[in-house]
Amino acid sequence: MSSAEFAADLPEGRAVSRKIIIVGGRIALALALLLAWEWGARAFGPLFFAPPLETALRIVEMAGNGKLLTDIAATMRVSTIGFAIGCLAGVGLPFLLRLSPRATEAIEPFILASQGIPKYALTPWLILWFGIGDAPKAIVVTLFVFYIVFITVSAGMRNTDQRLINMARILGAPEHIIARKVIWVSLLPFFFTGLKVALPRAVSAAIVGEFLVATEGVGFSIERARQLSDTTGVFAGIVVAVALVLIINGIVNGLERRALKWRPVERDMQL
Amino acid sequence: MAAMLEIRGLGKRFPARAGREPPPWIIQDMTFSVGAGELLTIVGPSGAGKSTLLNIIAQIDTASEGEIVFDGVLTVSPGQKSLRPGLDRRIGYVTQDDNLLPWRTTIDNVLFPLEVQGGIDDAARARAAELIQAVGLVGFERYYPHELSGGMRKRAALIRTLVYDPPVILMDEPFAAVDAQTRTQLQEDLLRLWSLKRKTIVFVTHDITEAIALGDRALVLSRRPARIAGEHAIPIPRPRNIKDIFTLPGFAAIHQRIRADVQ
Repeated sequence: MSSAEFAADLPEGRAVSRKIIIVGGRIALALALLLAWEWGARAFGPLFFAPPLETALRIVEMAGNGKLLTDIAATMRVSTIGFAIGCLAGVGLPFLLRLSPRATEAIEPFILASQGIPKYALTPWLILWFGIGDAPKAIVVTLFVFYIVFITVSAGMRNTDQRLINMARILGAPEHIIARKVIWVSLLPFFFTGLKVALPRAVSAAIVGEFLVATEGVGFSIERARQLSDTTGVFAGIVVAVALVLIINGIVNGLERRALKWRPVERDMQL
Repeated sequence: MAAMLEIRGLGKRFPARAGREPPPWIIQDMTFSVGAGELLTIVGPSGAGKSTLLNIIAQIDTASEGEIVFDGVLTVSPGQKSLRPGLDRRIGYVTQDDNLLPWRTTIDNVLFPLEVQGGIDDAARARAAELIQAVGLVGFERYYPHELSGGMRKRAALIRTLVYDPPVILMDEPFAAVDAQTRTQLQEDLLRLWSLKRKTIVFVTHDITEAIALGDRALVLSRRPARIAGEHAIPIPRPRNIKDIFTLPGFAAIHQRIRADVQ
């Protein structure tokens, strides 16, 4: 019996014990990773591997003196601005291009080719233009987010059932309503997939941007700790970054569940 | 009977592709008319171009030749620049697939045409509720399409078209994918709704019995390219008892004549 059949055969009452197994498995895996981390610290020494406990204490210390909050606020500010712009453009452009198939054909190769530009390498040039404020970092974040959202939304748009669009036209729906009530809703699963890739990227792009130019932020703290050979500081920054991504992912999953609650399969399978 | 819909010399071929020229005709030289309030059935073998014909009438596909006159006005002609799907809501189309929006509940699907046409008022809600009652979907208003049976989805798709009251309704084998019992029930529902409010209906099917049970008149299409191979008035008086349609006088004779035309 394959695992898929096994899952389908589970009676209602055992869904709870299934949940317990999953949560238990996750805790066990987390503990194993922590142990491996601790082992690494003991095997290689604190310069190469900061011990978990020390890292945790450092985070508590940063929380105490307010550094944690200002770092997170700075990183989130840059990621949010960049993400919002990239996401708006990534959703808006496919809808604009839909109005003219000829323009799409003309423009699309340029958009895809411009993806090849190494985005982090643009930072020094962007600093030249926009100074050392949030702008150059936010632009790098925007670029990362834009391509991911643009490509997933475009794919979702092409995947929209043409029969549903024809049906809506026959019923007298104007094109802007078809875009909003048929195409947009139909491509939501694609959009959420894009979000799940784009959001962690947005945070890491902001952090890498802060390596290069910043006076505060999670990336700034990691970089400064590195310059001081403060491995514990580097690890603390990484843990904070991972926690940020986890929280954001949790929020996106929640939004997705709400938006797609009509779908038949409801299993613990989201990424 | 005044003609509601006149199809004159209609022809359709798909655009040429390399290595396949000239493209074959799907429909050729097709001429017929549908009277106001008439229920016309069109019988033809699978792949005869029945769906293409309805797509052209509904204006989601273009004609290569010929014209269509709707209520005295020329609406489809060879030099046509753009399509007008549904002809400003005057032509309803119940397709073979129900094409319900999967993320909307029954009631929201039924209200969809009214919603996109400028809002839902109490009268609209009352009308939707009445139709839901008429086809026995009461209690399933808040269900999503995937939670409904095939027959229920067909009913929902049917009343989604009836709710905005188009004078002409095209139906493309709407009951083909359901079991025989459900189909009889759906046919009875359709005839009951039609007897209340005489719409002009063009009902396409490959089932001769269905064509006889429902129609005032039946057209028979030939295999590709589709042409009209025969036309038969259905002499069975209404109201008809669909369940026992076989036993009604006249059924066997008309069935035989249509059979002879369907190759």
